[in-house]
Amino acid sequence: MVIPVSRSFRGNRPETEGPAFLARADLQVLFDILREDGRRLIGPTVADGSIIYDDITSVDELPSGIGDEQAPGSYRLRRRDDERLFGYVVGPTAWKKWTFPALVPLTRATRDGHLVTFAPEQAAPPTLAFLGARACEIAALGITDRVLIGAEFIDPDYMVRRANVFIVAVQCTTSASTCFCTSMGTGPEVSEGFDLSLTELDAGFLVEAGTPAGRAVLERLPLRAASAAEQYGAAATVAAVRAKIGDPVPADGLHDRLLAQLDHPRWAQVAERCITCGNCTLACPTCFCTSVTQATDLTGAKAVANRTWDSCFSPGFAKVAGGSFRARPRDRYRQWLTHKFATWWDQFGTSGCVGCGRCITWCPVGIDVREELNAIAPPVARSPESHLVEPVAATPNEFVIARVAATKAETSDTTTLTLIGGDPAFSRGSPGQFAMVALPGFPPLPISISRFLADGIELTIRGAGPATKALCGLQVGDQVGLRGPLGNNWPLDRAFGRDLIIVTGGIGLAPLRPVLHAIIADRRRFGDVKLFYGARTSADLLYRDELEQWGKRDGIDVRLTVDRGGPDWSGRVGIVTHLFDQATWDGSNMIALVCGPERMIQATSTTLAGRGVSESRIHVTLERHMECGIGLCGHCQMGKYFVCRDGPVFSIAQLGDTFGREGI
Amino acid sequence: MQDQASLVAVLNSTWFASGLEPGIQTHLAELSRTFTAEPGQELFREGDESLVFGVVIKGRVALRTRVPERGDFTILTVEPGDVYGWSALVPPYRSTSTAVAIEAVEAITFEGPALRAALREDAALAQALYPRVLVAVARRLNATRVQLLDLFAAEQVRTW
Repeated sequence: MVIPVSRSFRGNRPETEGPAFLARADLQVLFDILREDGRRLIGPTVADGSIIYDDITSVDELPSGIGDEQAPGSYRLRRRDDERLFGYVVGPTAWKKWTFPALVPLTRATRDGHLVTFAPEQAAPPTLAFLGARACEIAALGITDRVLIGAEFIDPDYMVRRANVFIVAVQCTTSASTCFCTSMGTGPEVSEGFDLSLTELDAGFLVEAGTPAGRAVLERLPLRAASAAEQYGAAATVAAVRAKIGDPVPADGLHDRLLAQLDHPRWAQVAERCITCGNCTLACPTCFCTSVTQATDLTGAKAVANRTWDSCFSPGFAKVAGGSFRARPRDRYRQWLTHKFATWWDQFGTSGCVGCGRCITWCPVGIDVREELNAIAPPVARSPESHLVEPVAATPNEFVIARVAATKAETSDTTTLTLIGGDPAFSRGSPGQFAMVALPGFPPLPISISRFLADGIELTIRGAGPATKALCGLQVGDQVGLRGPLGNNWPLDRAFGRDLIIVTGGIGLAPLRPVLHAIIADRRRFGDVKLFYGARTSADLLYRDELEQWGKRDGIDVRLTVDRGGPDWSGRVGIVTHLFDQATWDGSNMIALVCGPERMIQATSTTLAGRGVSESRIHVTLERHMECGIGLCGHCQMGKYFVCRDGPVFSIAQLGDTFGREGI
Repeated sequence: MQDQASLVAVLNSTWFASGLEPGIQTHLAELSRTFTAEPGQELFREGDESLVFGVVIKGRVALRTRVPERGDFTILTVEPGDVYGWSALVPPYRSTSTAVAIEAVEAITFEGPALRAALREDAALAQALYPRVLVAVARRLNATRVQLLDLFAAEQVRTW
């Protein structure tokens, strides 16, 4: 899911003919102009060992030559070796202290005998100028605008306060170890949502206006045109900040990745450290949850309802008469993190996080939200659901031509073809997808891709009918027609950090083989991986060399069984479910991938359910008659799905009671 | 080879014996003996009198059946925790397959006639043990049916 970040409710873009330069000695002029316009100036100043935002009147109150060092659970001021006024990053104060104060009287109420009155409080907020707002902070204002005044019901107090603010942005010329605006797409460059922006250089500031109000102020400043060197120097400094921060929390697909991990064991682990103090939510510039408390006089005749900041970490936050819905710290941590990074998108169309890093610095136990996100919902090189490659020759009347580069007889009736030269799209397919394969005079067939190569694919085909026998009979150099890759894929991203159980039989190993390749390529991301594979006889086992290697070298627990054993077979004989129906492991943290004859899938999912693997975590691939492969011909319908287009991979929960029902 | 006591402890941890009342576990232990077989060793032969009921603790036992002119097929392997020789408890007490150790096997075994006599005399033992034997046999029957379906065959078996 790619959702653009909304940065400002104003939506105004800077309107400027090019940056101007304000000498450092003239910065006070800006202060004075803003104050002349009747604005209270709020800006950075040193207090209590940190740089906070507070009322200031003079440039002398700015933290001249002071920097900060931030790390998880740690904040220290340090002397810079220059006299920069904005040579630090964000501190503990967020601008919401003024736009969304911690305590706002809502209503005054009276009771006189039987009569009651409720009078709304009218906010009369001061006219303010925020001096030194950073890109992430301006993005945070954009987010709270969206939440509090961007929909049908608005917060009137916030609206009035917000409308009264003039924003002087400052481009970041330094970063903290806790910064991750780059990952959240909010900074470090300030590009909108400001009235004036400053980029600090040693001798002064590059100044740009972002709004007509900003231009009106700019025109009253003693400016000269910025030189090319100054412009280049400013841009290079901000670019260096971007490079230094890097991309600590790759956000691509984070929404889906995170929501797929509601049962991750890490929630319980982080909760052992979290003391649910709520510092993160108080320091967060976008957290907006509140409670209303009643203050009455001694007689109860007069009362004031005050709105105060609350936190989803508070024990009583989700409490009802019967108890709290989120009684455990792990529940509250999960609520906070999944709201910020996932469900916020669903509610407001943006992320709830701007990457300012305050929750990391001001966490008393040093929990680093970036570390937790990467552990719980690790980034994927190719996010499977959202990044299925565009198929080539998608419509049934066209094919790309590929050439057989190698053939391998897997069993007496099954052959693996290596096909190259088709189209690069095939190499970029995803485990579980299939290709439509055609030879002139034969119906095109859907064949699971059994390996992705740099320049092609492998298909493992059992010669069961005329078309498959013709394919199995191809020689090196022969050509085939291909369409694809088609269909969806195995949800490997759901298996990160979990144990994985793969159950398959016969040729069903073919669509799972790329899963094993993907796991082995990134083995540390997965917990225990078990492969249970059944075949008719030992001679019918596919990929025998690889099976041995997976078990011996690649850390996969490979268990084989055959339906009937011959003299050469000293392994297990019996059905595949007997490999684990009496096992003692707990499947509650497992993802299961199952492929085989439907009767086997049914028996397997029943047995897995008995081991605690829920239906939503049992993924199967189904086989149905397919002709077009893209949901147009109607052959592969199963209940509400076309198996080719909506599948072939489904969870048992998705299939519901259509699965295993006769004649569907 | 582990000693009798530790093997009985292992037996009691298998699905077959776990959860049985301590008195019954003790009675079973009194009737049991340890048994080992080398790879290739035949435990019993199809059609012979079935004299021993056993629980595999370690190793693998193949149950084979012979089809004239086609030779032996292994139709099932008995894995640790599972039983063999159930026909020693069911008339006519004839082995239904040939059992061969295909790995070094350690097992807990029970003499058929002695176990049958104990089951006749001790109703509590019978009440505890027969359901487990039935579960083992039913599981095997179920698996045999699935194998009969020959699900991994290239062509579907014709149905009517």
